[in-house]
Amino acid sequence: MSLTIISLIKQVPLPTEMRMGEDGLMDRTKAKSIINIDCQFGLEAGLQLKKQYPDARMIVCSMGPVSFENALRTALSMGYDEAYLLSDRKLGGSDTYATGLAISTLLKYLGFTKDSKDRFIIFAGRQTSDGDTAHVPSQVAECLGIPQATFVEKVTSDGNFTVNARRIIEGGYQMLKLPLPCLISLTPTGIKPRKPSLIGAVKARKAEIKVLSVDEIGMTSEQQKLIGIAGSPTIVAAVENIESDRPPVMLAAGQGEQQLVENFIAGFAKGGNVLQKKEKAVKEKKDAPDFPVMDKRGDNKGILTWAEVVGGQIARPSLELLTPAKHLAEQLGGDTKISTVLTGKNIKHLAATLFEYGSDEVIIVEDEKLEEYLVLPFSDIITQIIREKKPEVALFAATTAGRELAPRTGMKTGSGVTADCTGLEMDIYIDRKNKEIVRPILHSRRPTYGESKLATIIGFVYPQISTARAGTFPLPPKQNGRTGITSEFKPVLNTEDFVTQIVETVRGQGGLQSLFDADIIIAGGRGTVGDGLRKIQELAQALRDKGLKAEWACSRVVVDGGYAEYARQIGQTGKTVRPKIYVAVGISGAIQHLSGIKEAGKIIAVNNNSKAPIFNNADFGIVGNYEDIIPELIEKVQNGFTFGL
Amino acid sequence: MTNTIKTDVLIIGGGPSGLAAAIHLADLFKGNPALKDRKILLVDKGASTGSHILSGAVIKPQVFKDLLPDIPVPFDSKVSKEAVVMLGAKSSFKMPFHPPYMGNKGNYCASLGEICRFLANIAAEKGVQVYSGFAMSEVLYDEKGYVRGAKCIDTGVNHNGEHLENFVEGTSVEADITVFAEGTRGSLAKKIIQKFDLQKGRNEQVYSLGCKEVWAVPESNIKAGEIYHTMGYPAANEHVFGGGFIYGLKDNKVAVGLVLGLEAKDPTFDTFKAFQIWKTHPFVAKFLRDGKLIESGAKTLPEGGYYSQPKNYVNSALIVGDSAGFLAMPALKGIHLGMYSGMAAAKAIAYAFEKNDFSENTLVRYAELIASGKVHKEMYAVRNFRQGFNKGMIAGIFHFGTQIFTCGAGLCGKLKTVADDLETLPVSAVRKTLFKEKYATFTPAYDKVTAVFYAGVSHDEEQIPHLHINNQEIYNEKNIPLYDAPCQYYCPAESYELHTGKNGHKELRIHFENCLHCKTCDIKEPLGGITWNVPNGGNGPDYKYM
Repeated sequence: MSLTIISLIKQVPLPTEMRMGEDGLMDRTKAKSIINIDCQFGLEAGLQLKKQYPDARMIVCSMGPVSFENALRTALSMGYDEAYLLSDRKLGGSDTYATGLAISTLLKYLGFTKDSKDRFIIFAGRQTSDGDTAHVPSQVAECLGIPQATFVEKVTSDGNFTVNARRIIEGGYQMLKLPLPCLISLTPTGIKPRKPSLIGAVKARKAEIKVLSVDEIGMTSEQQKLIGIAGSPTIVAAVENIESDRPPVMLAAGQGEQQLVENFIAGFAKGGNVLQKKEKAVKEKKDAPDFPVMDKRGDNKGILTWAEVVGGQIARPSLELLTPAKHLAEQLGGDTKISTVLTGKNIKHLAATLFEYGSDEVIIVEDEKLEEYLVLPFSDIITQIIREKKPEVALFAATTAGRELAPRTGMKTGSGVTADCTGLEMDIYIDRKNKEIVRPILHSRRPTYGESKLATIIGFVYPQISTARAGTFPLPPKQNGRTGITSEFKPVLNTEDFVTQIVETVRGQGGLQSLFDADIIIAGGRGTVGDGLRKIQELAQALRDKGLKAEWACSRVVVDGGYAEYARQIGQTGKTVRPKIYVAVGISGAIQHLSGIKEAGKIIAVNNNSKAPIFNNADFGIVGNYEDIIPELIEKVQNGFTFGL
Repeated sequence: MTNTIKTDVLIIGGGPSGLAAAIHLADLFKGNPALKDRKILLVDKGASTGSHILSGAVIKPQVFKDLLPDIPVPFDSKVSKEAVVMLGAKSSFKMPFHPPYMGNKGNYCASLGEICRFLANIAAEKGVQVYSGFAMSEVLYDEKGYVRGAKCIDTGVNHNGEHLENFVEGTSVEADITVFAEGTRGSLAKKIIQKFDLQKGRNEQVYSLGCKEVWAVPESNIKAGEIYHTMGYPAANEHVFGGGFIYGLKDNKVAVGLVLGLEAKDPTFDTFKAFQIWKTHPFVAKFLRDGKLIESGAKTLPEGGYYSQPKNYVNSALIVGDSAGFLAMPALKGIHLGMYSGMAAAKAIAYAFEKNDFSENTLVRYAELIASGKVHKEMYAVRNFRQGFNKGMIAGIFHFGTQIFTCGAGLCGKLKTVADDLETLPVSAVRKTLFKEKYATFTPAYDKVTAVFYAGVSHDEEQIPHLHINNQEIYNEKNIPLYDAPCQYYCPAESYELHTGKNGHKELRIHFENCLHCKTCDIKEPLGGITWNVPNGGNGPDYKYM
């Protein structure tokens, strides 16, 4: 029996050359293009699996304009054999829902369905750099009705048509065992994508890339109504620039570590550079046209949230989520209720916590089998609740669970999903085509294009589903003794939903809380593993010796290398810290790390690469080798320098 | 699974000479029914064609008419006004006449990268298989010792060369004839020159380093086609040979550059810094006023001329263009010579296929074609030019004067050269103020690392560092204490850093990720200290309009 390995890829503009059109959609005409980085890791994961299945049929698929052929040829030159491109004008402007639908239809057309005789596995990238939603993999899996594992960094197989996937979760990882067929989405932290070989490039140039239209893959006219800009359940309503509120970095001048550190301290004492705020042009407020106001919610009412249970506790992001939920409920009017779904085993007592943080109703779903989170049963349960309760808005925390649960659920309810929001508001939508004003409607705001733009997304199918970025909203004030309505929901549980097996869950313990409480955090990156982060720890210790609340942390690569425990990792999986001073040593500044430290007071970067992105996001910078700089800093700390604390 | 591809002719390098060879050979094959199915494969290490190409450039157009009759060439602009300017420390005066061989009437300003993209498209249309982004790191030989093609670098290895999970073995390309067109100081050409002793009986090749920038400037600063060459400041002070150029380009752009010989005795001599100093001269600065830097880069040029050219053919292989020293002083023009060398190589290759004999006996035709053609005429006339300047500018001008009246012979016949690395003196032997001290207070408008950024440089982190200290012990014992680690000065990309620890311990740190592929370190480091190998394909600068 043979195996087919399918990779889904997207071509994206080079992140440094991204531009956006007037309509808020990506302008793909000018920028140089590459295969989306996460998708490259997906391609590599497929090639790694081929080592275990040397006879595997290797297929790569994409959806987009004909220029995407370049990306497909690169994939062929890396070692894939067949390439398919779904390319049709009718797909222009598709949102993630429509994209998931179209790609899954292509796969079905190619003969890959849940019941296919030949085993297959689909690899995809976690998310794309020009969209950042991480939705499409879950949506494709849902459309095909197959199990999935997202946020995976490594896949192995025991050779018996099951795969083991190492899935990144908050503060740790989980080993999942999945049967085939299944879909796996890869984070850009696993095995690095290989370089194409010349022999592969020669082969790729001769290869035929099959370009298919939506008619050719047999999309019915009903299905075609759901794709493209007209069919998509969500639209981009507005895009604005995000201006950094951090002034340009002050780089310490000088030769040699002594001078560098002295100049840094002198600059630090002066307070660094000052941000020159550009006067924002005051926008003329245009009067809304005189269209009739339509309320399209029908009998959908109320706000539904999902409470994630981790280690017997409600996860903090699920409590934070109640802040925007409350805000929306107030905007919608006094009788709007917040209902929270609480799923798990022996979790009834946690309802009290939810009430204290703002839930009006807690829907309890208890079952032996629900002890640990799994996307298949959980999305099924939430869908059943949504169908019964008919909320107008459903919110999930944008954790690794929420970011797959929301799109998989949305695919079942036909809702568009907005990922990783930092702002949620009730507003209006002026529909100039149909000459009407829709009110109320949810405006979900999310950073995009490498955190440089803020896009406002609105959805037209109820419930409107959004995920809220962890660490962005504050915890709601706790009202001790507040109570609400408790109800129990008995879902129909499908045995097929439990085909994925959790082999192992590893979460770091301890250290975590002190990171949230620390005034100063010294964090080490890839550049500091030479001595196993000893100097990083020494600097933190020196600060503690001076009576400061100091802690040390690290970036993701350090944890992966086994130099530190998961609990000390900043960024990537949503850990946001807010110390007064953050010292990033040997950390290049991957976007995930940067979003984890955005709320820090002053950021000081030490790196020997003056081009490292961290310097664009720091207040102070020292360009130099950490082995030289840190001992010098330790000496200064011992002599009384305490970073102004 | 086999990891070898076969072709008839392999051309390594997609610069003007490699592309001219490819295009001309495709035409010759096509014109001969017996050879019409012969395959030509051209491989370039740049991420895309032209991305590693840097030149002035003012080009003599005739070669394009010879290579591609009736096809318009995307030059930038025709030379409309030119002058040679002598610079003093603050002063400047235009020479009332053009020094011999330096006139540019009828020539064109161009971006050589643009020209190469154009040539690569034509080559592809003519059936040449052009692949960029692949680096050839090894010459293959057959059992007779003939060159049998080349092998791409292995990728997916760590700094020590150990295979990682994404290891991909480099593809071997077997060919009946291999053409080395790698440009200045080609890393494979260097290997076969050594292996077959091709420099035997000839002068050492000597080089210059050129630093170049392209600026967007206000319309009034300079017109397209307006070109200036400068002599004197700051090179004359340092007893190195060379001068600057300022070329007006279309769309209100200007290319500026300084090309200086690498024969400096002073180990702290820094061409990049000299270039930045030159740019502050009032005569130069006025062209850049209120402008914006767009691109930056650096590259070496082989300047030894006729007597420094290696034997350029061996069994089954030819060397063309800069790799074989096809460049004529004093006008610093090599593009047309390189292209003619490529065309001559193409003729010799077609002849070899006709004879079905790829040995030296037939490939000697290449050298014969060069010797009887205009390339020879042009290079022979100035065969002693560059050597004359090695004793400084005054001596050089004297030598050059005598050469003009003796048809290039001068008064001493063949003048010798000394390899650039042997010219470098220990710090203690330098009789005048060291360059680093003389200009210690000069702060350039921006540093080397910024210039590297404007060259679009990138290198994969996971690979064997391609800059290699040949003998770490000798380096620590001699190059650092006696010569002050000259690479930290001459490297225009700050790929080398001499770090002094708190205890005074000095060690050389290599930042290969900055490398501009100029090859200066391979040429200039005293005691033969450094070897420049190719890094992964697609790594290096990403020049757009250089």
